[in-house]
Amino acid sequence: MINFENVTKEYPPNSKALDGFNLEVNPGEFVSIVGQSGTGKTTMVKLLIGEERATKGKISIGDWDITKIRQREIPYLRRQIGVIFQDFKLLPRKNLFENVAFAMQVCGHPPSEIGVKVPQVLKLVGLENKMYRYPTEVSGGEQQRVVIARSLIHHPKILLADEPTGNLDSINAADIINLLEKINKFGTTVILVTHNKEIVNSLRRRVVTIDGGKVISDQKIGKYIL
Amino acid sequence: MILISISRIIKFAMQDFIRNFWISIVTITILILSLFSINFLIVAGVISEAAIKTVEDKIDLSLYLSPNSTETDISILEQELDSLEGVTSVKYISKVQALEVFQSKHKDNKEVQDALREIGQNPLNPSLVVQTAELADYSQVINSLDKLSKHDIIESRNFDDHEALLNSMNTITGKTRQAGMLVSLIFIIITILVVFNAIRIAIYTHNKEIRIMKLVGASDWFIRAPFLVEGATYALVGVISIIAIFYPFIHLLQPYLSTFFNANDLNLINYFNSNFITIFGLEFVVASLINIVASLWAMRNHLKV
Repeated sequence: MINFENVTKEYPPNSKALDGFNLEVNPGEFVSIVGQSGTGKTTMVKLLIGEERATKGKISIGDWDITKIRQREIPYLRRQIGVIFQDFKLLPRKNLFENVAFAMQVCGHPPSEIGVKVPQVLKLVGLENKMYRYPTEVSGGEQQRVVIARSLIHHPKILLADEPTGNLDSINAADIINLLEKINKFGTTVILVTHNKEIVNSLRRRVVTIDGGKVISDQKIGKYIL
Repeated sequence: MILISISRIIKFAMQDFIRNFWISIVTITILILSLFSINFLIVAGVISEAAIKTVEDKIDLSLYLSPNSTETDISILEQELDSLEGVTSVKYISKVQALEVFQSKHKDNKEVQDALREIGQNPLNPSLVVQTAELADYSQVINSLDKLSKHDIIESRNFDDHEALLNSMNTITGKTRQAGMLVSLIFIIITILVVFNAIRIAIYTHNKEIRIMKLVGASDWFIRAPFLVEGATYALVGVISIIAIFYPFIHLLQPYLSTFFNANDLNLINYFNSNFITIFGLEFVVASLINIVASLWAMRNHLKV
């Protein structure tokens, strides 16, 4: 499904974030990408969502070569990839319903569809009773669940979570990981970028370790080895 | 779907307009100053044109004819003059009419009245008063006089050359226009900079929304369009405001102009009414274009989609 073939990403003047990076992720997989800071994890995420362009190599999603993607095709790519970041990126002046609805509004969905889908997806993440609260009125874990709900609104094939538990305590972090597993069970490919050893070890899923912009270890049921 | 997107773009633009209310007010104020200077330039143009026309209307060429001229000769000369290029009117003033005009003009001047009585007869000659469309045409008419078949009945001519006055008026008008254009240009540049800054601030204010829009797959045009709409909104509010400000201004100005130009039909209100769409429509289009260009410039520098 996702294929990185010999991908190199250079930043001027001569820094390489990824250097001959190879990775294949199959549909429906749950993959943890681990590595220390500055090893190229976030660059990999940015390349996948079209925020950065690879200097060399090829990245494809299905039959779609996204290294040759045109600027106007990027929004369509991003609608197929749900993205979750460490900082929650919620709009403080909008309630939880409006925050999720915003993702549909800016993509041109009609109000009738928004009225049906947003409560459904908020129910999926367990926030159906808090949908009219504002971000400051819910916990960090709940805020991250809203972000997950928002990222699922376009029914993405891939969910990309870049340090989603970075700002959460262990209980909330476990909740988020459970939710990601639940989403994965529905068939969505989940790529979890993290350096949280406990989470990676408890998952007992595929673990890809990156160092120096390269994959140094790829274990089917892996552990955090760094 | 397109209509829904357009309505949301307008909504987002309006939200931003209100959210950065004071920046919007400052931007519109600068725009109003630009538009005021441009409209003032139009007023100055209309007034100077009217002033030149007033002076031009007072210029004519009087041909004094021999007292012995026959009605037939005068009539032939009148027709020949009328057929000359640039001539708009030829008016015949008989000896009797000339005397009547002269007497009424000097009715309070006893010495003149006594002198007329002393002479005992009408000393004035009949004349033909020629007017042309353009000032430059008079010299052509004067040069053509000798070629006319009945030119020998012309005894003398009187042409008050106002060309120097008109030239100096034209020079003053031209310089005023140049100064006005310079002021307008300065205001336009300030407007571009202020709109650029307003949109830049709007982009910073919306930084989080823009980031989310990009992440969830909003199209480039959907992200950019609210800022363009905001630029056009500044133009719309600016033009509506200038209409509201400028009409009272010309209402105040009109009585002074009416006194100065007397019977001349210089009516600024009528002028602006009859050219309303052209003036304010064009100002809106140009102001929108300027604002959109400034917005695009700001987006190019500060909005990576």
